[in-house]
Amino acid sequence: MTVDTLFSEITPSAPPRQSMARLRRVRWSGLAVWAVLLVLIIIPVVTFVVAAISPRLFHQGTSYFTLSNIATAFSGYTGRGIVDSLWVSTLVGVFAVSFATAIAWIVHRTNVYGRRVWSGAMWLLLLIPTWMMTLGWIDVLQPGELASALGVHSLFFYHMFFGASGIVFVLSSASLPFSYFVISVALRGLGSEFEDAARVHGASRWGAIRAVLPIIAPALLSAFAISFAEAMSDFGTAFTLGSSSHFPIATYTLFNAIYAFPANFPVAAVIAAVLILCTVPPVFLQSRVMRGRSYAVLGGRTRAVRRQEFSPFTRVLVTAALGVLMLIVLGLPILGAVTSSLTNTSSFVTPTGIHWTLQAFKDVFVSLPSYTSLGPPLWVSNQLGLVVATGTIILGFVLARRLAARTSGASQRVMDVFLLGSIAIPGIVLGVGYIFLYDQRFLTEHVINLYETMPLLMMGLIASSVPSQARLLTGPVAQIQSSLSEAARVHGASRWRAFGTTALPLLSRALVWAWLITFTKTLSELAIAQILYQPGREPASVVIQTYLGTNFASVGSAATVITLVEMLGVIGVVLLLFRLLTPAGWRRIGEVGTIS
Amino acid sequence: MTQSLRQPSRVQITDLRKDYGTKVALSGVSLVVEPGTFTVLLGPSGSGKTTLLRCLAGIEQPTSGTITIADKVVAGPAGNVGPERRNLSMVFQDYALWPHLTVRRNIAFPLKSSTLSKVERASRVGDMLERVGIAHLADRYPNELSGGEQQRVALARALCAHVGLVLFDEPLSNLDADRRDQLRIEIATLTRDAGVTAVYITHDQSEAFALADRVGVLRNGELVQYTRPEKIYRHPKSAFVARFTGVAGEFPVTRVREVGEKRVEVQLPFAPHMFIEATKSENSPYDKDPHLFVRAAGVTLHAATSPEGASGVIRDVAYNGRGYEHVVEVGAKESLTKVYSADRFERGDCVKVLFDPVSCFVMNAQEEEV
Repeated sequence: MTVDTLFSEITPSAPPRQSMARLRRVRWSGLAVWAVLLVLIIIPVVTFVVAAISPRLFHQGTSYFTLSNIATAFSGYTGRGIVDSLWVSTLVGVFAVSFATAIAWIVHRTNVYGRRVWSGAMWLLLLIPTWMMTLGWIDVLQPGELASALGVHSLFFYHMFFGASGIVFVLSSASLPFSYFVISVALRGLGSEFEDAARVHGASRWGAIRAVLPIIAPALLSAFAISFAEAMSDFGTAFTLGSSSHFPIATYTLFNAIYAFPANFPVAAVIAAVLILCTVPPVFLQSRVMRGRSYAVLGGRTRAVRRQEFSPFTRVLVTAALGVLMLIVLGLPILGAVTSSLTNTSSFVTPTGIHWTLQAFKDVFVSLPSYTSLGPPLWVSNQLGLVVATGTIILGFVLARRLAARTSGASQRVMDVFLLGSIAIPGIVLGVGYIFLYDQRFLTEHVINLYETMPLLMMGLIASSVPSQARLLTGPVAQIQSSLSEAARVHGASRWRAFGTTALPLLSRALVWAWLITFTKTLSELAIAQILYQPGREPASVVIQTYLGTNFASVGSAATVITLVEMLGVIGVVLLLFRLLTPAGWRRIGEVGTIS
Repeated sequence: MTQSLRQPSRVQITDLRKDYGTKVALSGVSLVVEPGTFTVLLGPSGSGKTTLLRCLAGIEQPTSGTITIADKVVAGPAGNVGPERRNLSMVFQDYALWPHLTVRRNIAFPLKSSTLSKVERASRVGDMLERVGIAHLADRYPNELSGGEQQRVALARALCAHVGLVLFDEPLSNLDADRRDQLRIEIATLTRDAGVTAVYITHDQSEAFALADRVGVLRNGELVQYTRPEKIYRHPKSAFVARFTGVAGEFPVTRVREVGEKRVEVQLPFAPHMFIEATKSENSPYDKDPHLFVRAAGVTLHAATSPEGASGVIRDVAYNGRGYEHVVEVGAKESLTKVYSADRFERGDCVKVLFDPVSCFVMNAQEEEV
């Protein structure tokens, strides 16, 4: 599940007119599209979940129907994991919405310094996976590391971090941008007349804010829902802190259930079903809220936002507060990883001082008996990123065209609901569903043996990315008026030339961003990679966990930094290429903000 | 596909039908558009005019019937020719200018598939830019232009293609009144100068009459009348055509008596002691619920002291630049609107109303459902 869907929901979409000829083609292609979705998402998830109540169907037990696995899953360690996940996610939702509301208000409704910087920081925070953030914080808080160097007695915080507090903190930080972007959209569209009316009728400045908050209540609710769902489905933090935290949460107990000996797929399936039941409703709620009537305030007559003018002192103070907050949620974990990677000692501060070195960056590319070089895994991750991002964009675009079509046939409605639900399926569930299905004897012996192969990992990653990217692309696709390609056809362009000269340029920016988001997310993806990787061809995110698990902290930190730099580097290079290689008109589309 | 020498196309539509599921959008439409003429298809929303135009363009495929453009069957039982191979161009209602292309490149687009050299293309685009008066905007992008300027670009693109048939899909509907009049004149002159066949759709009867050599009125997917604009105005085929092309008033008739081959005299409820002469409709009977349909041009106002005419009271008056348009109450509920007079009558004035038989028709008000 990613934040991408938020933007597709927010984007106002006017479905284009569509010719009957096209409708016929769409109907024919519909079967093929559904077949792909069946193989990628529906069959793996459904068969896995069915195993919870009918384990014998898949050679996982003796009963064709039993509820005993449900009882097992809700008791003991796994039961505690489910309960922990629920309250942790609720708390994360509350924290994320509270802080995001304050930040969004300050950035969009005041004259605080560096507004673009804060929005940019939110984007960066969005890109950083939770496992990376967790590792960064371990590097900060570990005794003798950065915090110690800064004179903070970090042992207390270090122990706290390996528990509920650490998980809530990291997940709240990671969920912050999700809430921020949802609330920002609501605040940007909210004219100043509501605050003016409150002030005119006697409300103080704070009273005016309190009067306006209920108007954006749908966005707040939506932000809470999406933050809750994100926290509930997160695997990175749970896996990275792992058993050290002695604080089980559902995604980790699910992982444990299948890696225990013997593997307990039926119990894992119950946990998976619980995760799906907990994440799907918030996503539907978010979608419903963002499409609902509550946003009637965002009309054409809404007056432009008037920013609150802080006094010079308050302006500096608020800017500093934002800076400190960003330093905590973003700066410190990155700094922790960077400083740890630049020292090759067991701790950052030694009795002889700090010894800066690039040794870890050299070591990370050397294969030793104790660990493998990062080079091949990073190459594997890049291959995965390339294939998965490209495959996702192609399939996502096909789905987006179907979703944006003017028809309101049953297939389209079902697909709409299905993709929305699929976004909410946690990666860990998808991954486990894949090994469960594609390791079934009837498939491996009689159809195709994809178990522990790169194609299976690619399929899993595409399956996890496609729903969100399809919905992300639906907005831009729906915004393109059909008359633009019709005009091209009428004026002599063939079907493909019409697409290449009209739709493609208009969609190019959205496609490039969708590709970049998928590529970077694939590069850092952990849940599916950890479960489905081909032995001997581990992706970087999996190998980095092994570095840290084998006490090569500096090498692990260096590898984390390299992965992060590569993610940002690819974004930079691709955007630069887009700028250099595309005609000026192509680049205007996203910038001017209109497609008409 | 474009060609260097423009030959105006003849368009023939025969028994065209278009269904959307169970909804019939067009049914039994047949018409011929002669080469070099300007035809306007007029109709309210949902009448099928847009569908008809899109079928002509090849954007929609008809369910049955045939379309022939320049002696080539482009839609029929044998299949449909793609829009790009119909040798036509189109001005869209929303202009459909490509936002990532400059004005110059938008206009040059149709020439890409031509055999013209680069120099010839540039020259033709430059010429067209001059003709529509937007040469100074050549390097701008569509979103940097006003609505009127965008429409000029769309017109230039359509005419630059040098094709035999240009289609217009309500091109003026998004413009304000001033720009609409100005652009309507430019469309008329530029299109006629270009010598192409034009098919134009609109729901505005004044626009239709101002532009057309021939007007086709559509209702519920059927072509109910297709002839010269004067004939539609003077001899509407049905009450619907009369209403849609503009009437000042419509009154139930209490009595009818024939006074000639083309004339009748009628008695109206608000003037029971006088007979008003009117024209018999050529096509529509008046045997069930006869009504008198009065065009605005068929009414004149006189002082209350005039010995002739029906009595009325002025309820509203509006200055329109060259005279006054009045709303005249002629009965308990009946009134005449847009009654022109060079002299101003004040609200509440009693007047006499005289009817010109040429602009008054007697027809059944209720038509059989199409």
